[in-house]
Amino acid sequence: MKKKKATIACVTLLVAAQLTACGSEANTSASTQNGAGAESSTEGGTKVSGGSSVFTGELEQNVTIRVLENDTAISKGYFDELIAAFNEEYADYGIKAVDANMDQYSDLANDGPYGYGPDVLYQANDVIMQYAEGKHIYPIPAESMECYSQIPESAWEAYETTVDGTTYCCGVPVNIQAPMLYYRTDLLPEDWETAWDQDGNKVPDIVENWNDMYAYSIARHEADASKYGYMKSLYDAYFSSGFLFSYGGYLFGENNTDPSDIGLSKGEAEKGAWVLSQLATVMNEECIDDTITTNAYSKLADGTYFATITTPDLYSTFLDELTAEYEKEGLDAEQAKEKAKENLVMTELPKLPESGDLTEENPTLIDSKMMGGVNGYAISAYTKYPNASLAFVDFATSYEMMLKRSEMLGIAPAREDAAEKAGGTSELLYENLEAGNIILMPSIQEVSQFWTPAQTFFTDLAKDAFRPEGEKKYTDLSSFKTGLEEMDAQIYDAIFTLK
Amino acid sequence: MRKKRNATKVLDTSITYVVLIAVSFIFLFPCLWLILASFSKSGTIYSFEGFFPKEYSLINFKRLFTDTTLYNYPKWFLNTLFVAAGSCILGTFLVILTAYTMSRFEFKARKPMMKTTMVLGMFPSFMGMIAVYLLMTQFNLINHLWGLILIYSAGAPMGYLTQKGFFDTIPKAIDEAARIDGATNFQVFTKINLPLSKPIIVYTALTSFTWPWSDFILPKLLLKEKDLYTVAVGLMNLDETEFARFAAGSVFIAVPIVILYFFLVKDMVNGMAQGAVKG
Repeated sequence: MKKKKATIACVTLLVAAQLTACGSEANTSASTQNGAGAESSTEGGTKVSGGSSVFTGELEQNVTIRVLENDTAISKGYFDELIAAFNEEYADYGIKAVDANMDQYSDLANDGPYGYGPDVLYQANDVIMQYAEGKHIYPIPAESMECYSQIPESAWEAYETTVDGTTYCCGVPVNIQAPMLYYRTDLLPEDWETAWDQDGNKVPDIVENWNDMYAYSIARHEADASKYGYMKSLYDAYFSSGFLFSYGGYLFGENNTDPSDIGLSKGEAEKGAWVLSQLATVMNEECIDDTITTNAYSKLADGTYFATITTPDLYSTFLDELTAEYEKEGLDAEQAKEKAKENLVMTELPKLPESGDLTEENPTLIDSKMMGGVNGYAISAYTKYPNASLAFVDFATSYEMMLKRSEMLGIAPAREDAAEKAGGTSELLYENLEAGNIILMPSIQEVSQFWTPAQTFFTDLAKDAFRPEGEKKYTDLSSFKTGLEEMDAQIYDAIFTLK
Repeated sequence: MRKKRNATKVLDTSITYVVLIAVSFIFLFPCLWLILASFSKSGTIYSFEGFFPKEYSLINFKRLFTDTTLYNYPKWFLNTLFVAAGSCILGTFLVILTAYTMSRFEFKARKPMMKTTMVLGMFPSFMGMIAVYLLMTQFNLINHLWGLILIYSAGAPMGYLTQKGFFDTIPKAIDEAARIDGATNFQVFTKINLPLSKPIIVYTALTSFTWPWSDFILPKLLLKEKDLYTVAVGLMNLDETEFARFAAGSVFIAVPIVILYFFLVKDMVNGMAQGAVKG
């Protein structure tokens, strides 16, 4: 009897174990059902390139897909052209793309589950990857897309997430965003070719290295107290963190994937903080908050500022402001636009002195690294028409559409062929991404704990420039290092205390 | 003695006027600044000379109604008008009925209901926003202007006390006389009380109109599509470089409400004054 009971118990245990195993397999298949498809091996584990199993390749017919685009693409008319071209191409299938007609920053996590979100959305990689962590986004069969081979691996990586050892791609890179230097050639000193072009390469040294930019900023402000050289809101961590990266600092370890290793104070990052602190001295107190970020368009146009840095997608806004300014001076619309295009230059960031000293003469220069992002398309996990949505993404990332996007919006395409054709800034950005000078914003959700402590530090750093001599907090490199270490600790606490 | 009293009176009046002018300046200045900013030619706050714009033009108002690709202000304006007018009509109807019932009829649950509504009215309206959102998703009323009208109207009777106070001031003897003459309850309400209640109806209509006209939280919660935005939500979603459009939009939205106010102010004051007196 006892034996029978023991046998029954063993059988029950075995069955339970089997069921549990099935359960866990079922769970895995449920959680990875979005990832069925061709697999390829990667260093970190299995890379699934087939995307979600919902992408069967059979287009849903006679459907309308709602696309959330960014405001610039809508206001400049690009989005209208894109959906018109797509609708014409897919007219035979009855697939129609329309504007989702929502705020560009609307939250898919809130609206999607109730059926009010878009089918396709255009966002920065960090936003899309936060949605991906919440399973609001379908993994995309990237390798089957026409654009796959044309987009660099580093851009695809911005959209990759690993679950249970399997890597999924959750977005399609469209354009590279990274800080660019904007300046006006008509505000250069008249004698720049003789006095500010030591290497004789016909490009002013002022925009080639920060030491000359610093010197010219002082000279311009001294000549007229209402005018400034370089101006930028230093509290903006997106732009300021690049100075730390240039000297060996980093945000998260393991290629921005390990939140337990925060390295903004690592390497010689204190030199980057010192550069920022020196730049603050040639600006006014508006660099402490976001005033310069919002007034740079008009202040660059009216000649108060000589240069600033911001992302390339704002080129058209700067151009419009400068055109309006020239019109005010009496030029007709056509002439004003032509003159504005001639005088407004968007270029890569100047090089930094290896020593971090902006007053050093003949410094050894190093490349400026910068925080960047990759904006792209993703497909909502709440869409009823995944295949039609994928067709739209495929169409929107084609060579023609990426090139058109670049021409109309002035942005840098993530596609190599389109970047090459667009030339200029697009090519520069593409090269910088390939060279590793653009550090892509981490795609892990812990990045949300970076902004506030970083803003607090950079605000304090900017304020320090305006404190009386005896009250300054940052007087030497070790004090910058201490400040950066405190910031690292605050970010760490914010991440792990909240967990 | 008389001279001294006169001097004190003059001093008293002068101080009162100085204080009033100072206070009104404090309240008026931001409005004046916004109005002037809306006429700014440059369209940016950073080109101002001191507090005020350098040059003035109507360009911002023109852009508000012509440049509608991204920010469709005329549509937002019509949406706001639709919601405010709908809530005004339906809300006024419900408030007047509630107040009249509470004032004129004695029934068992009258007192508990009055107490309950009074307590419920003390809670801030946004407290139930999540519940409202979930309910509206179930009724499929997200992204529908009618959804907003229903919520505003349904919530309006909670503030019936002022109207009840007004109905309490109308002597019940008139109702009884009418009933002796054979009038029904409905006739007593429509033929006797309603014509006497013009001030409170105007007051109710005006307050029912102004609340949805300027509300932000509820439309922000329930309207996802840009073409359905009300003006308050639309203006809050403007880009940071669109200050001039924001100023012009804020000024223009005040126009209908100011006109309505000047037309109805007399009735409104009467309504408020009479509703405040317990009969």
